[in-house]
Amino acid sequence: MTEPWSLNLLAYGARTSDSWTILCMTPLNPDTTLIALIDRIALADEKALRELYELTSSKLYGVAVRVVTNREWAEDVLQEAFINIWKIAGDYKATLSPPMAWMALVVRSRGLDFLRRRASDRADRMQELDDVISDTVAGDSPNPMDTAQASEQAKALHNCLSRLDNKQREVVSLAYMRDMSHGELAEQLKLPLGTVKTWIRRGLEQLRGCMSKLA
Amino acid sequence: MNLIQNPSLVEQLAASYALGTLRGGARRRFEALARTHAEVRAQALIWQGRMASVAELQPQAAPSPVVWKRIENLVNAEKEAKAMQAARTPASRDKGWWSSLNLWRGLSSMGVGVAAVALMVGINLNSINARLGGEVQELTAKLSATPEIQYVAVLADDKATASMLVTFDPKSKKLTLKRVGGFQEASDKSLQLWALPQTGSPKSLGVMGGDAVVKLTAASNEVNVPTLAITLEEKGGVPADSGPKGPLLFKGALIQTAL
Repeated sequence: MTEPWSLNLLAYGARTSDSWTILCMTPLNPDTTLIALIDRIALADEKALRELYELTSSKLYGVAVRVVTNREWAEDVLQEAFINIWKIAGDYKATLSPPMAWMALVVRSRGLDFLRRRASDRADRMQELDDVISDTVAGDSPNPMDTAQASEQAKALHNCLSRLDNKQREVVSLAYMRDMSHGELAEQLKLPLGTVKTWIRRGLEQLRGCMSKLA
Repeated sequence: MNLIQNPSLVEQLAASYALGTLRGGARRRFEALARTHAEVRAQALIWQGRMASVAELQPQAAPSPVVWKRIENLVNAEKEAKAMQAARTPASRDKGWWSSLNLWRGLSSMGVGVAAVALMVGINLNSINARLGGEVQELTAKLSATPEIQYVAVLADDKATASMLVTFDPKSKKLTLKRVGGFQEASDKSLQLWALPQTGSPKSLGVMGGDAVVKLTAASNEVNVPTLAITLEEKGGVPADSGPKGPLLFKGALIQTAL
């Protein structure tokens, strides 16, 4: 696929400056690969969907597990998210988001929908059913961050999040991933409401300071 | 407004707005402000983008291989349904190519003095149209040769081993369950089939005997659900309105397809 001219440019870049190298590396950027696949999916290319799935399903399954906390439910969410991506791939361009951020958001909203449906169902009965064949992941254990396949923007955020202490980072991450209010977080984490509010406020203040330095 | 003169406060509100912890009246006031002040709106968008990256930083995990299989089935089913749709309405599709708005828009945007070009385009379209007409006829013939659309589900256990093949023929309202795995319930137990709707509780579709192939009767609206499941119940099954009591054995997505 590589054009002869881009090979020349690569060689040229290696000899001269870093910026040339970066410029010429652009076609190899994972974002570019993902964007090209999403574009093909918008034209109903099933092979592209398969390739996108192979590249991103582990990352996106991780997102789903984090939102719904149950591996089997997370598989349903991942399935719905990919069907959704198949249908709305044409809308991706207009979002101007890094592709992985966009896909992770699709997974998150499918996951939140799933939780809402469950809550309005007779949740206890379904829970009984699912307990038999699923291992539930602990929702409030410290959650390691993972920059694999993350966009540049996410790496910057990761930098700033790493400077928060564990608890602050965890409440911020949980609040976002599960769309939880201060009250819901306090209940889930068995913490006083005031503590949750303080952690979030301080966490966001520090994040704000750190991100503005990077921006 | 005071708030606008305080950029760090705007940013703080934008961050809690994007995080989702700004709720109720405060959230509505912030949204109203963002609609009227571009700088507030910009901050909200910046923070929404930043928070979206929180999702990207979650640790990876490997999904079961059946997930891709299910996605593939759904995508294929959708494609087939579209092909059927196209075949069912050959007349409008045929006409559609000629009266296509885009075509006329395209031609008129070329302006005056393009009659010759339009004629050529017309000739080309004529041949395309003839070819498409042929394809549509072929699809229509195919459709009339195939039976009614059916529903199929492969119910599998937690190790993704297929154990039960379920087909539904809406014409005869017959659900056919065929055992494909080695599972055999004890003599004092029965397998019960459930429809799991998107919302609401599981609905019993019937209890299976010990035979390898079982036929049950069900209405189409009962079967029109995303998932089917089989539980292990006491002999004879539990009453339909009580919901499942026993453990879930097999489960699978129901897909619409032409057999």
